[in-house]
Amino acid sequence: MTGILVIAETRNGTIHKTTREAAGAAMELSRRRSVPAAALLLTETQLAGELGALGFSTVYTVEGERYGKYNSESYTAAAAHAARQCSANIILMGATGMGRDLTARLAARLNGALASDVIRIHYDSDPVSVVRPVYSGKLLAEVELPGSPRIISLRPNVFEPASPSGQQAQVVRLDPDTASIRAQVKQAIQAAQGVLDVTEADIIVSGGRGVGGPEGFGVIRDLAQVLNAAVGASRAAVDSDWIPYKHQVGQTGKVVSPVLYIACGISGAIQHFAGMGSSRFIIAVNKDPDAPIMNKADFAIVGDLFKVVPVLKEELIKILN
Amino acid sequence: MTIVVILKQVPDTEAVVRPDPSRPQGILTEDVKFILNPYDEFAVEEALSIAESTGGEVVGICIGPAEAESAVLTALAMGVDRAMMITDPGAVETDIVTKGRILAEAIKPLNPSLVLCGREWIDTQEDALAAVIAEYLDLPHVGNVGKLSVESSKLTAVREMDGGSLEIESTLPAIVSCSKDLNEPRYPTLIKIKRAKTKEIKSVTLSDLNLAFEPPRSRVKILSSPPARQAGRVVKGEPDATARDAVAWLSDEAKII
Ligand SMILES: Cc1cc2nc3c(=O)[nH]c(=O)nc-3n(C[C@H](O)[C@H](O)[C@H](O)COP(=O)(O)OP(=O)(O)OC[C@H]3O[C@@H](n4cnc5c(N)ncnc54)[C@H](O)[C@@H]3O)c2cc1C
Ligand SMILES: Nc1ncnc2c1ncn2[C@@H]1O[C@H](COP(=O)(O)O)[C@@H](O)[C@H]1O
Repeated sequence: MTGILVIAETRNGTIHKTTREAAGAAMELSRRRSVPAAALLLTETQLAGELGALGFSTVYTVEGERYGKYNSESYTAAAAHAARQCSANIILMGATGMGRDLTARLAARLNGALASDVIRIHYDSDPVSVVRPVYSGKLLAEVELPGSPRIISLRPNVFEPASPSGQQAQVVRLDPDTASIRAQVKQAIQAAQGVLDVTEADIIVSGGRGVGGPEGFGVIRDLAQVLNAAVGASRAAVDSDWIPYKHQVGQTGKVVSPVLYIACGISGAIQHFAGMGSSRFIIAVNKDPDAPIMNKADFAIVGDLFKVVPVLKEELIKILN
Repeated sequence: MTIVVILKQVPDTEAVVRPDPSRPQGILTEDVKFILNPYDEFAVEEALSIAESTGGEVVGICIGPAEAESAVLTALAMGVDRAMMITDPGAVETDIVTKGRILAEAIKPLNPSLVLCGREWIDTQEDALAAVIAEYLDLPHVGNVGKLSVESSKLTAVREMDGGSLEIESTLPAIVSCSKDLNEPRYPTLIKIKRAKTKEIKSVTLSDLNLAFEPPRSRVKILSSPPARQAGRVVKGEPDATARDAVAWLSDEAKII
């Protein structure tokens, strides 16, 4: 077992950015270990050329209706098949909803070692070791992976994406044997047009108890729209039914690592910070200069969010246009 | 129908966790309060309400040190009928894939229609359990479920994904991991807390399950604190001025716009 395999994810005809990031990590491993890297493309196989150009020697594809939407059983079977084809010793994928689900089942199928939501790879350690956040980001764990193969999901927005090379990959169509599929997708429910999920966005604008009610999220959404950002929330806002749970950031919500996190009317409780503490930059807007978030933010604005956030939006429109 | 719920004890979410210098893979536990994994409460609640409407038994299974009994007692007080605890160090101090394999062996003889667990363990931040157990039992699984309805031979679940959700129909038996939208966990009453202490907690060893010790596939080598975030610029004053400062900072220093 020596090869490297990246499991690709696509969205509406494009290669997902977490796949480019996984490709970046794969190329680094491939270069340092002088082993080839392959990719598996399960849907939208017209993207095989573009995917291959990220530096892969081989792109495996599968065809058929059972791969149309993510299905843990058919995707696990296909991924296990591809892993055997290239004798994969390291399998990489983005730690998206699909990535975390698929890598889990695949790790058991291949009797391997699993590391999820990894933020660093020690490329030269042998066997490979990784770093992942634990205790909601309060600590970092360096994890050795003596088991084989190693199935690793990478936290979005952390790894440098691979850039396209002139290289052309060999495209190999696989015909995996997918015995029985017992859990069928009946319906895919897409989020409303233009509504970004917090786990997918580069910028998140979040509101907490300070927004005062469901209408208070209006100013938050307005700012988010200008920045093409997702809307996040504290648990206080979610528990008050001002906004649905899927927006909750924190220990019992979503863990996010955007480039920029703008916390408005959020005090920065340990459980909230756990979900967003690894953001590259944090801006806080809070009327209390002593709120815990204020000495963790890179830029802290003391003031009423209903006054500050709309002006911030207007200033941004000026500069962005 | 028999429903199995997987239980784990974790440090309280308020806890300040610090690496133990004498045992760099572990944390200092003196001042830490331990609780039932918050997502496991949604699993327990869901199991209880399904059992209440269909009839049947709810069995809790926990891998953990002897001290984790308090988390098991929480589940028993909520209404779980009986529980099993696996305390072998070979089970407690191993990785999630191996734990899933051990749990699968413990589940097998119970022949449940449904196995429920929490969406994620908040200590190790891992959400692989449902998929791993399902794979070792060769059953379907649905992860991160926010809505569930169970009939005699099938279930319908809404799985939350990034940017949307999937409605999934599956045959039973199946494994489901439970998210917060599913329900509102009940609080155990005092009487139930008392009664929990009379319920069965059976100790199960790896050899009872005919499993030999396996070296962990992954192992924490060292825990460390992430670099603390330093306080940055703090601005106050007129909203116009502070907002302009923020925009200037975003473009000149953070270089985001
Ligand atoms: C088991 C458990 C799990 C939890 N999980 C999570 C989680 O996942 N995510 C999470 O967020 N929390 C979580 N919490 C809750 C957490 O402890 C806090 O209660 C919560 O984060 C507080 O939300 P908040 O900051 O919005 O509210 P508050 O703490 O009440 O803060 C509101 C802030 O808004 C400011 N403010 C008010 N009005 C204005 C205004 N007009 N302009 C500007 N600022 C204003 C105030 O100064 C204050 O700082 C969890 C708690 C537990 C026990
Ligand atoms: N309720 C508890 N009280 C005290 N120690 C505990 C409790 N639960 C777990 N532990 C200890 O915490 C450690 C497990 O943490 P870890 O090795 O980091 O997973 C072991 O040393 C356990 O004995």
